[in-house]
Amino acid sequence: MTIKEFILSRIQLFFLLVTLILVASAILGAIYDPDKELRFYHLFSPVILAACCVLPTCATYFKKEPTVKQYIFRQMIELALIEAVVMMLITPPAEIEKWLFYIVLGVVIAVIYLLAMVMMWLQKVQQSKRLTEQLKVLQQSE
Amino acid sequence: MQTKITKIDRCKPELLEIHCHSISDEVREIVAFVKSRQGQLTGTADERQYEIAVADIFYIESVDNKVFLYTRDKVYETKQKLYELEEMLKEKRFLRVSKSTLLNLMKVNSIKPSLNSRFTAVLFSGEQVVITRKYVPELKKALKGEI
Repeated sequence: MTIKEFILSRIQLFFLLVTLILVASAILGAIYDPDKELRFYHLFSPVILAACCVLPTCATYFKKEPTVKQYIFRQMIELALIEAVVMMLITPPAEIEKWLFYIVLGVVIAVIYLLAMVMMWLQKVQQSKRLTEQLKVLQQSE
Repeated sequence: MQTKITKIDRCKPELLEIHCHSISDEVREIVAFVKSRQGQLTGTADERQYEIAVADIFYIESVDNKVFLYTRDKVYETKQKLYELEEMLKEKRFLRVSKSTLLNLMKVNSIKPSLNSRFTAVLFSGEQVVITRKYVPELKKALKGEI
């Protein structure tokens, strides 16, 4: 993977995370603290959080194309780094047990990350379909 | 080696004759090139030599400095180098899809994504060939007819 491709994949991951963090915040907020009022600057939180999640994943860059095992291992490291960063950034509210808060947070991050991966995979499936369609056109033109 | 070209009447068959001191690699290369231009490659299997129609080849792979031609049900070894074949077969819809593989686009049934950010070409024979990321832009260009 070239640096350009890697940067593009990080930008893609960033925007996916922004969207998913926003959705997760809205759902969790509606469940646990529906009466809380937010200010406009709170809208920056998903952006900042997503940026903080994406930056440490740059450590997983390698030029050589990974095997399936290496790829899965890399994704696991990425998830672990994201979990670590988010847990460092977010402090648990006083009314919730610390251990419970971190378990729930860990699960939420893992779900968000998996959803981001699924979306990126679906995008690749679409790309494959487009390539197959173009291939059929080429084969019929011969 | 000197070259001589003589124009002949349309009624006579075209002929390329090589006069050489020995059948060297260079001569073999020239013969292979001419055959490939005519849509044929020479390959060996079971210690016998065969003329294989380019259109019958699904993909060409280099393994341990040996180059193999894969048809639907047989594998042939060829003396030609992968880069030579790549150059020769450009116009025959063959495309480099990884460091060691040339793929006949006319034999690809579908393209599907792989887990490790690659693509896989599923051939009409059911075999699967890996398309590495590096060669995806070239594939896109070829499919759009830009190459």
